[in-house]
Amino acid sequence: MSHKLSWRKLAAAAVVVPALALTACSSSGGRTPEAANEGGGGAIASTERINVALITHAAPGDTFWDIVRKGAEEASAKDNVELQYLSDPEGGRQAQLVEQAIDQGVDGIAVTLAKPDALAGALKKAEDAGIPVVSLNAGEDRSAELGAITHFGSNEKLAGEAVGDRLATEGYKHPICVIQEQGHVGLENRCAGVKAKVPDTEVLYVQGTDMTQVESTVTAKLQATKAADVVIGLGAPFTLTILKSISGAGSDAKVASFDMNAELAQKIVDGEILFTVDQQPWLQGYGAVDALWLNKRGGFEIGGGQPVLTGPTIVDQKSAEQVLQFAEEGVR
Amino acid sequence: MTMTATAPVTDERVGKKSTLSKILGRPEIGALVGAVALFIFFAAVAPVFLQPASIATVLYGASTIGIMAVGVSLLMIGGEFDLSTGVAVISSALMASLFSWYFSMNVWVGVALALVMSLGVGFINGWILIKTQLPSFIVTLATFLMLTGLNLGLTRAIGGSVSTPSISNMDGFDSAKAIFASSVNIAGVEVKITVFIWIAMVAVASWILLRTRVGNWIFASGGDSNAARAVGVPVVKTKIGLFMAVGFCAWVLGMHNLFAFATVQSGEGIGNEFLYIIAAVIGGCLLTGGYGSAIGGAIGAFIFGMANKGIVYAEWNPDWFKFFLGLMLLLATIVNLVVKRRAEQK
Amino acid sequence: MTTMDNKKITQDTLLQGETDPLTSTPVHLLNLDKVGKHYGNIIALRDVTMAVDAGRVTCVLGDNGAGKSTLIKIIAGLHQHDEGTFTILGEDRKLSSPREALDSGIAAVYQDLAVVSLMPIWRNFFLGSELTTGVGPFKRLDVERMKQITKKELQDMGIDLRDVEQPIGQLSGGERQCVAIARAVHFGAKVLILDEPTAALGVKQSGVVLRYILQARDRGLGVIFITHNPHHAYPVGDRFLLLKRGKSIGYYNKKDITLEELTAQMAGGAELAELAHELEALGGHKDVVAEVEAEVEATESRRA
Repeated sequence: MSHKLSWRKLAAAAVVVPALALTACSSSGGRTPEAANEGGGGAIASTERINVALITHAAPGDTFWDIVRKGAEEASAKDNVELQYLSDPEGGRQAQLVEQAIDQGVDGIAVTLAKPDALAGALKKAEDAGIPVVSLNAGEDRSAELGAITHFGSNEKLAGEAVGDRLATEGYKHPICVIQEQGHVGLENRCAGVKAKVPDTEVLYVQGTDMTQVESTVTAKLQATKAADVVIGLGAPFTLTILKSISGAGSDAKVASFDMNAELAQKIVDGEILFTVDQQPWLQGYGAVDALWLNKRGGFEIGGGQPVLTGPTIVDQKSAEQVLQFAEEGVR
Repeated sequence: MTMTATAPVTDERVGKKSTLSKILGRPEIGALVGAVALFIFFAAVAPVFLQPASIATVLYGASTIGIMAVGVSLLMIGGEFDLSTGVAVISSALMASLFSWYFSMNVWVGVALALVMSLGVGFINGWILIKTQLPSFIVTLATFLMLTGLNLGLTRAIGGSVSTPSISNMDGFDSAKAIFASSVNIAGVEVKITVFIWIAMVAVASWILLRTRVGNWIFASGGDSNAARAVGVPVVKTKIGLFMAVGFCAWVLGMHNLFAFATVQSGEGIGNEFLYIIAAVIGGCLLTGGYGSAIGGAIGAFIFGMANKGIVYAEWNPDWFKFFLGLMLLLATIVNLVVKRRAEQK
Repeated sequence: MTTMDNKKITQDTLLQGETDPLTSTPVHLLNLDKVGKHYGNIIALRDVTMAVDAGRVTCVLGDNGAGKSTLIKIIAGLHQHDEGTFTILGEDRKLSSPREALDSGIAAVYQDLAVVSLMPIWRNFFLGSELTTGVGPFKRLDVERMKQITKKELQDMGIDLRDVEQPIGQLSGGERQCVAIARAVHFGAKVLILDEPTAALGVKQSGVVLRYILQARDRGLGVIFITHNPHHAYPVGDRFLLLKRGKSIGYYNKKDITLEELTAQMAGGAELAELAHELEALGGHKDVVAEVEAEVEATESRRA
């Protein structure tokens, strides 16, 4: 009896709410119909269709990898490539994904080397099977050793140093570098790079899976460290949250960032954020797939045994206007 | 019947209970002592900790755990578990955000729909639990995984990305933000509204628990559901209701997340379910049910907030934070165990 | 008018000047006539006839698996019978839930299920039937009144508790049974089912519970006392139903049976004797037969 009642209530709500909804359209914002931008548009390569697996260490739901994936998809569309995207943040399981791809007999593997030692065995198998490998994003120092043709990525340490340089020339003395995932090598390297150029840099760890905790912890840090004059977020969503912390703490610290999304680009245009270092993730995805296609097409090897750097590129108020449009498309 | 009572039966072994031991018998006492000790400790090592603004920050950090801990505490007293709470918060926020955005509607429509969905998820959790008699650990673990997948899958399918599009320029956003994510200025200190929502929810939950029939039923359902059923307590309704209460808390926190940040990352929230359970356990709720308090859960959340932010104020290496959290949990559980043994002494 | 002091409970004091209880009221409080129950093709109970009257104790005796629990489940509304008739105050009934049984004045006190041990005594006392005050959303528990009533009701049963706020788990087994009994009495139970209330108790605590049974009886309740111990049943019972393997093997008024006979019936004395005969007829070893016979005698003398 009580069940029926509850079901009825739910059913009633299910009917009434959308009915109400029809009369409650928003006058602004929301989805623009047919806004989806199918990238590419150019002619498709006439080469035979090949299979490529893109295997990353992305945690589910990370915006950064969305852009990498979009780049890879666009390259696949142009190069007549069947792209398979897989990811697992845990090194051992990422290696298993690589082995699965080898078992499937793909024509090329693009892989991130966040944990090179975990992947070494799997990549050896790929080499033995004659499958070309391109690495991207992380692990440029181990890429050649593990048998990859080339590497597309930005050196995290270099990127950090670029930020540090820029901050130092603008006269900032006391940055706080906010790491959203404790024990993440790439993120640690970024902060280390900043610290190399601005010695008084402090690192703050926050729990990236909970934005409210990110906000309150950064607020706490700013209350404790009055000397802080700039806060650096290591990912676009985190930087945007840090902006809230700063207004919450009543601090006059400035904000700098790594990575990019449309909202962040807008904030740079508006002058709320100093600049961001873009490692151009779209290019990493695009380049990796394209390099595999080039290898298939003519045995080309890009980069001459050296990593191909996709960054760091600093986007500040001057250049942001132009980047913004691309960021809205999800390309930057 | 004209019988005089027989000589009173008393057990000479039961000593008289002092007021002190009565106070020590309260479920939240261990947590309270811990909270006071922690507060004094951080106040001593980091003077900035005592600034009104710092306390407001600590309270905000505690409130975003505490709001969920209210529901989770009640549920644990009722003898059940919910592992899906962390992602359920995000599911609720995603639902409101994506629905409003996709159909270009006033965000309040999405907010209402998210409430229906959150209560629905709670209802389904409870209903499956009752129907299958499976442990809530398994049922809600399944819900946790399904919600995680739905969050990621639907967000990409609808919004085309792993985070939702910003809804900050849509109708109703400002009024919703005022309710779920604004700040209140108290004597020059900005205090987040979640702190007040949290306190209100703890008060209501305590009142329900200690002063209403439903509260009695919650204790009984968790303490001994067979006994409760035998004396006419609607155990099924009580448990389903508890899961729905957890859903309500997830909705409140989800709306805060949405209107504070305007966008939601679909992968967020994972792992937070343990923080809520930790808060409830530190606050004196027994994992086996039938014992605990809403205030205890609140104190547990406050301890978490203090430890989390206190480390920042004291400028310590945070590598050790999880270790101390685990230690605290262990100590709290041992204290609870002792309390329970005492209560069950014959 | 009897006065219960701490006199020893004997058959004589109980049956002084009593007539046959079966004829004292026109209809029985409860009456079961040839009641049976089967689960699928397993017969759990058949042909059970018994009656419960106000101010009388009906004892149900039997070993494990004799069908005692099936019987109480039928009376308490947890299961329904398939055969025979079950009348309450002369009216033919089938109870579909414990709630319905409670509404008909039948309250069951289970051995394990009596109380929620972590909850305070007063909350246990009123569990499921809480008193409230106020209206609408401000309807709340009337804590003070519930505590008072609990204290008073327990005092009437002869338990003096300083603190009704203590968890009921801290009470002794006998006291907990008492709380459950007092509770049933307070909520207007006319028939009280006590499921093995003495099974887990020591000698002294058992005595305490037996005394509560008599108190409940003297307050005019019909009591169904389920036990496997004839020594507990005989002193307080007015009628005895013996169950074995789901069947009634005897239904006696107290005047028609002695403790020795009851014990012998319970212990399966007849069965043992039969076994001895069978063994003898088969030409079994003399020493084995002698052993069985000795066992028969020993059982009877031990129980006596």
